Amino acid sequence: MDSILKIEHVSKTYTGHKALDDVSMEVPRGSIYGLLGPNGAGKTTLIRVVNHMTIPDCGKVWFEGHEITADDIYQIGYMPEERGLYKKMKVGEQAVFFARMRGMSRMQATRKLKEWFERLGLSEWWDKKVEDLSKGMAQKVQFIATVVHEPKLLIFDEPFSGFDPINQNLLKEEILGLRDRGATVIFSTHNMESVEEICDDITLINKSHNILSGSVEEIRRKAGGNTFQVLYNGTPEQFSAAIDGKADLIGGSEGVIGGYTQQKIHIPSDDDVRAVIGTLNESVNLRSFQEIIPSMNDIFIRAVNGTL
Amino acid sequence: MNKIGLIVEREFTERVRKKSFIISTLLTPLLMIAMMVLPSVMMLKGNSDTKNVVVIDNSPEQFVGKQLTSGKTVSFNLLAPGETLGKARMQHKSEYGILVIGSDILDNPQNLQLVLNDASSMSVEENIQSQIQGILRTERLKRYNLENMDQILADANVRVNSLQTLKNNEQEDDENMEKTSTTASWLMGLILGMLLYFILIVYGQQVLQSVIDEKQTRVLDVMVTSCTPFELMMGKILGIAVVAALQIVIWAVLIIGASAFVMPLIMGGNNVEAALAAAQNVPDPEVLSMVGKFTDVSYLAGLFLELLLYIVGGFLFYASMYAAIGSAVDTPQDAAQFNGIIMMPVIISIMVMMSVMNDPNSNLVFWCSMIPFTSPIVMMARIPFGIPTWQVAVSLVVLYISFILMTWVAARIFRVGVFMHGKKPSWKDLGAWIKMK
Repeated sequence: MDSILKIEHVSKTYTGHKALDDVSMEVPRGSIYGLLGPNGAGKTTLIRVVNHMTIPDCGKVWFEGHEITADDIYQIGYMPEERGLYKKMKVGEQAVFFARMRGMSRMQATRKLKEWFERLGLSEWWDKKVEDLSKGMAQKVQFIATVVHEPKLLIFDEPFSGFDPINQNLLKEEILGLRDRGATVIFSTHNMESVEEICDDITLINKSHNILSGSVEEIRRKAGGNTFQVLYNGTPEQFSAAIDGKADLIGGSEGVIGGYTQQKIHIPSDDDVRAVIGTLNESVNLRSFQEIIPSMNDIFIRAVNGTL
Repeated sequence: MNKIGLIVEREFTERVRKKSFIISTLLTPLLMIAMMVLPSVMMLKGNSDTKNVVVIDNSPEQFVGKQLTSGKTVSFNLLAPGETLGKARMQHKSEYGILVIGSDILDNPQNLQLVLNDASSMSVEENIQSQIQGILRTERLKRYNLENMDQILADANVRVNSLQTLKNNEQEDDENMEKTSTTASWLMGLILGMLLYFILIVYGQQVLQSVIDEKQTRVLDVMVTSCTPFELMMGKILGIAVVAALQIVIWAVLIIGASAFVMPLIMGGNNVEAALAAAQNVPDPEVLSMVGKFTDVSYLAGLFLELLLYIVGGFLFYASMYAAIGSAVDTPQDAAQFNGIIMMPVIISIMVMMSVMNDPNSNLVFWCSMIPFTSPIVMMARIPFGIPTWQVAVSLVVLYISFILMTWVAARIFRVGVFMHGKKPSWKDLGAWIKMK
């Protein structure tokens, strides 16, 4: 796998508190990578380790195939969770300042920034002071300042917090757009819906351990554990007889909807799915047969509670 | 380097645009001019309020009372012989006071009383005491019945106040030796030392605040991923230094301009020299020598350059200490516990500077002018005395290297301190942070 960032067995202990314990993960180039976990799990510490702001006690971070150095962090765009802008400074000037700090020329920065401001509906705020902006607008400015110099790797810490649904969508679109133009995006979040929508891969950290890693699709299917929802017309006896030996009932029937009985079943072996459908189709009037894929929200809660 | 420039530019433009900068730039010279003008105005006009003193003189033939001369400060009103204090106290309630001179004043000079209707005044008391002392001294001398008494008295009244000090240039002929002036040199050093002290207090605090702000606004997470902490610290210190330089230049121009034009107006026609001359009836040769010295342009230019290097170096070094403190703490309140360590060397410097006048080359003074914590202030007081160039050079190099080192230390503390938010560091922690990779 072509990975832009690789974290190997990283541990970090603050005075008497273990923030990260042997965490590893690998971020494929050009993907959107979700870093999930409850509050205080160690996400921000991990991000700081990647940003070279915190030095891990042990473990290594690889960037573009070499061990990460202080110079590499200038190729990373980082939007911290606690947003910070100079309050008394004018919005446009501040954005230009940050862009120049990351190596853009004044002209180039101004041109690019004006484009971004236009796109996110901030143009009229260019000459206003940051302290006059609403929280959401300040976040947009911060977002622009993070991405304007087009870094290879973008790290967003809770990018959606503080945004209304409309702006959340806007931001989502922009993040997808950045990925399509070649950037790799890591973001940490509690918002599981957004993970389902835009993340390709995730890592779930809980209590300073990496407890779940992989592509979102795979994780959801695995978590589903070959459970299916069946709607049929017939007697429960017919139904049980049909699946006997290949599948197990999960609980009893879940009631009748429009004349069809609802029932969850579990098929331990993938190979048996077609056979089960076949026999069921012969014995009862099969209305629908659907794999149950749990939401990321369920997976998150189950993983954190250790019931996955 | 480029990034330091950007940070300097930001610090500078943001600060210069602030209302508080404009206000303090304009108000401070006004305050300073007021401080300069008020004493002179008071000196010239304030004392017009002459105090009336009624005199009850019981001495033979009232010889004391008759010789008292009224002046600007006190005017005397001698009562007829035989007046009693009790009566006078009833009659002259509105006067400033009643002076009672005992009948045996010549032999018992202690027999002298001043009964006040008003608050006591040092200048009135001094005036009365010195007048009576003079009268008694003359009268006592007269008792010896010497011939030509008046002439002897006039002749004996001599003052030595001109000792010309010259710098040995180690050449045979006695000509061309440079005049030196201890008082003038020392005074100049003192003024410059105080100026540096003032600059440190005002702008050093700004560096401290600026570093703390960086953490409180949480901009630092973004900044630290855009530049090194050293660049950030250096940029902040230099940015504020440029602001300080600009502000001081504006002040200097405003104050010099104002004192050139405004002072004569306020003095109401009297020029400043006249006021000075009035204050000290004999021109001080030290002052004359100082004036003579300060008209030598090349000497002044060299001196100015050296002093400038010390002011700038001293500011930068101390500013980097403030930056280190700002890095270690989260709030200005927490900074207070460290503030003492900055003020300590400054206070020691000022104490040592006082001793420079006695011996500008003592061991204590020498070492204090080499150690960067004290060198800016102590050396400034030493330079006008004529110090070997190598000493100045070594001390300056040490000072500037210390500034860079201290900024580096500040950056280390900043980097580690930032990510340990909320914890007040102990001295041990600070040591560990500096060593931390």
